Amino acid sequence: MTTTVGKPVPRIDALDKVTGRAAYVGDLEIPGMVHGLILRSPWPHARVLSIDSTEAERLPGVLGVLTRDHLEGIDAYFGSVVRDRPIVAMDKVRYQGEPVAAVAARDLATAQEALELIRVEYEELPLVSEMEEALVPGSPALHETNLCAEQHYDWGDVEEGFAQSDRVFEDTFTFPMVYHYALEPHTSIGHYTNQGITVWSTAQHPFLVRSDLARMFGFSLHQVRIIVPYLGGGFGSKSYTKMEPLAVALSKVAGRPVRLALSVEEAFKTVRRHAARLTVKTGVKLDGTFVARECLIYLDTGAYADNGPLVAGRAGERIAGPYRWPSLKVSSSAVYTNSTPAGSFRSIGAPQAAWASESQVDIIAHDLGIDPLEIRIKNMVSRGEEVRRGQRPLEGDPATGLRLAAEAVGWDDEAAEESGRAVSSALVTGKGLGCNLSGVGSSPTSTALVRMHVDGTLTVLVGTTELGQGSRSAMAQVASEELTVPMDSVDVISSDTSIVPYDRSTGSSRSTTLMGLAVQDGAIEVKDQLLELAALHFESPVEELSIEEGQVLCRGESIGFGELIQEEFGGVAGELMGRGYVTPRSHGGRLAQSPVFWEVGISAAEVELDVETGAIRIPHYVSVADVGKAINPQQCEGQDEGAAMQGLGHTLFEEMLYEDGQLLNPNLIDYKVPTFAELPDKLETILIENGDGPGPFGSKGLGEGGIVAAGPAVANAIFRATGVRIKELPLTPERVWRALRRARGQD
Amino acid sequence: MLRPFKLHEPTSVDDAVSLLGRFGEEAKVYCGGTELLLAMKEGLLRYNHLVNIKTIPGLDEVGYDQGSGMLSIGATVTHTALEHSPQIQSHFPMIAEAEGNVANVRVRNVGTIGGNLCFSEPHSDPGAFLLLFDTQVEIQGPGGQRTIPLAELTLGPFETCLEDDEVLTRILVPQFPQGMTGAYLKFGYHARPTLGVGVSVRVEPTTSDGEHIERAVVTEVRVAVGSAGPKAVRVAEAEQLLMGKTVAELLPGSNGGESSNMNEASRLAGRAADAMDDIHGSGEYKEHMIGVFLKRAFAKAVNTRQPTVQSPLS
Repeated sequence: MTTTVGKPVPRIDALDKVTGRAAYVGDLEIPGMVHGLILRSPWPHARVLSIDSTEAERLPGVLGVLTRDHLEGIDAYFGSVVRDRPIVAMDKVRYQGEPVAAVAARDLATAQEALELIRVEYEELPLVSEMEEALVPGSPALHETNLCAEQHYDWGDVEEGFAQSDRVFEDTFTFPMVYHYALEPHTSIGHYTNQGITVWSTAQHPFLVRSDLARMFGFSLHQVRIIVPYLGGGFGSKSYTKMEPLAVALSKVAGRPVRLALSVEEAFKTVRRHAARLTVKTGVKLDGTFVARECLIYLDTGAYADNGPLVAGRAGERIAGPYRWPSLKVSSSAVYTNSTPAGSFRSIGAPQAAWASESQVDIIAHDLGIDPLEIRIKNMVSRGEEVRRGQRPLEGDPATGLRLAAEAVGWDDEAAEESGRAVSSALVTGKGLGCNLSGVGSSPTSTALVRMHVDGTLTVLVGTTELGQGSRSAMAQVASEELTVPMDSVDVISSDTSIVPYDRSTGSSRSTTLMGLAVQDGAIEVKDQLLELAALHFESPVEELSIEEGQVLCRGESIGFGELIQEEFGGVAGELMGRGYVTPRSHGGRLAQSPVFWEVGISAAEVELDVETGAIRIPHYVSVADVGKAINPQQCEGQDEGAAMQGLGHTLFEEMLYEDGQLLNPNLIDYKVPTFAELPDKLETILIENGDGPGPFGSKGLGEGGIVAAGPAVANAIFRATGVRIKELPLTPERVWRALRRARGQD
Repeated sequence: MLRPFKLHEPTSVDDAVSLLGRFGEEAKVYCGGTELLLAMKEGLLRYNHLVNIKTIPGLDEVGYDQGSGMLSIGATVTHTALEHSPQIQSHFPMIAEAEGNVANVRVRNVGTIGGNLCFSEPHSDPGAFLLLFDTQVEIQGPGGQRTIPLAELTLGPFETCLEDDEVLTRILVPQFPQGMTGAYLKFGYHARPTLGVGVSVRVEPTTSDGEHIERAVVTEVRVAVGSAGPKAVRVAEAEQLLMGKTVAELLPGSNGGESSNMNEASRLAGRAADAMDDIHGSGEYKEHMIGVFLKRAFAKAVNTRQPTVQSPLS
């Protein structure tokens, strides 16, 4: 009997959030807490000759100053792949805005005053702004080399493939630097004592932060506690370790808990998405069959590696798209430049890869005179087929999803016309498609604890960070469903590493699938214990028992869960505990092969373009997500719509602009993010539910797919409206206007 | 981070003027603060004293004199109040509409017309559309009051002709001449407008309707451009090119034609804007866009008097 799963039940944090009661890190007051501010480098690349903080330290109200000279006993470097990022600048600074020193003071005004008393002497170094120049031998080096990582994917013989092709296409695309813009900037309260560390932080992956801090500060895991209350949006910007080491190191010098709450501008200077330059060479048969593809990808990872090497790897994998390739050869590199470090951002590497791949698919379709929908379907992998060599076969059916999207946007109505329709003398319209496939789920490493109290209610303990995606509600629904208790009998406690059991991370669309399974397993373990107790109570074999609405039933009689617990422990006391373990070996090993599942990103856009101004309006936008089973359909739609809008942001106007190594627009006045005014007139999400996911009740994750194909869907629509192909994002009015003008030969 | 400052709340303009005189460069008028406080938080501006003139009685009033057709707007009237003022809605509908599109609802609720004009952020609407009227501003200083044309108030980005101890108290907007209608259009995707173009126009015969409007002749026209350059300006050369032409001559778009006069006026308006390369785009693009929007604003202004006529460019 279904009680909650599959229904749009209200999220359990809704009331707290809309009334402002929900506490975020910035709302917390820790006894003895003081305030930290960071002194940041004005230079993009400079040697730090000297730092004099004595005057700042003497200022009344200052409790401590942190510089490279205050790191004794601390391993100052961290990084999820390469440990190249120091807590504060050591020998040199590598980007404008890099932390050089920090002050802890009794209030922010004092901290600000103290920052201005710190004297830093820099020696400017030549800077590297572009990836192309970074890789030229002899150019200034940020680290030992400017090549941060290089990944390769090869199968088949592409040279032979190109020789067998009727046509070979080669195109180069660029993708801008963009910022996540989570509503809540990074915030951490660090508290260091000789016995251990407690950190309240905006961390998507608290257990990974715990490992880093334990290593850096010389503690074992039980001495490091990371607490993550509600998080105001992550999108990857709060993945892995960010400001936590600085907050803890500052607490160590101050001897107090220190609150470090970044401004939006500082968050812009903490992490961003990789800009990219992608060259794609594709060989095809005249009937549209894909034969070979060779890709050269460069990703601008900024001053430090952060997750760049992994992003390069994923971009390399994802540029193959959801298509069959007899031969494929990809080289994907992350390159250091003097700019904000780039790391994970919602579907790492995929929007860049899909931008190139899916734009070129339309170039090919147009050239061969084949409908863009048909050429995609013709080459698309099917259910059960191997997607990437050695990886899990496809469990979904992207072709059906793409057809649904095309149908929803009225693709067939336009199919008869090769190009777009003129609405008036200045307005033309066109429709475009885009799709991609991402292996997601990270690794199958999640655990959960389900506690049933003596009144039959539940507390579920998970390490999933509630960052707005609705994980607390989804986990509650899974537990509620499995144990037939109402939603309001379930509470979900998340993300306190000393209380909740281990989870690898909150990202890669993994939580409902993997943590959901762990919660389901924990609930089943509680159920098994209840049935054992009921078997004693009814003096009946377990096979004759069933559960329903919080009761165990046996031959027409029933007993409540709470009563069974009381019978066992005696009196109104005791509780039952169920454990959920998701590991590569659990569940018969079915989660071991990578990826955990394949997430589709499918978009269809109808675009209206003003040819006199270059301005784009989107009357209709459709996004398709394959969720296996929607645990909460309303939240699924919300996630997918959010992803689509974020995708339209980097498609239409988002771009971090640098000049001489200085970030020109680290604020929301000069850096445009989508608002309600930019919503398509009609924004639609279609959920596919085939029950074929590896998660509880046949579910699989979503949340990343919706961002992936926005760029190519819109650019492909512009091409169909005007015959003009644009290979750079964002599609600002001026960029579109220039492209139209160039096409008319007026430039 | 906002540094500590002392907030003064005078109850008369004279008191405000004397406070400003006393503190000199250390003081600034606070009149909404939607721009000023942002700049202070960023550390771009530092003042130890802010003189809040929003507390001065009378400065938040809108008055309209039926006889002279003069609109008088107090400096502390918010954008929202202008948008919703019944007098402005009925006698200056273009101002009501344009004010309803200034920035966003939070800024409109707090930000004031006087604060806006005095801050002189180039990317701003009121400074441009108020130039379509022969708008004057009243300024009070220690020596008394003076009245100057709005066009003379702004010297350049973030710079006015106000002395440190002067307060802009009132904006005086005369009604359009009989039969003149106006339109203000802006463009941009950032929080602030990239460019704005205002056109007001009077055609004769004034009674023409339907297709007859095509034959009506432009007898008076004003063109103002803003946001694209250092300050908003009227473009007299563009106005001259539109004078004496029929609507059909200037807007032949429905027949696929082009008007050389309109094109030239567009070019001149683009040049006059003195458009800058900045985060909003290149000066070249803005010049082009001002031309596009001059045509559109002209069409909208003409059609405002004759809503039944659909312009090819509207």
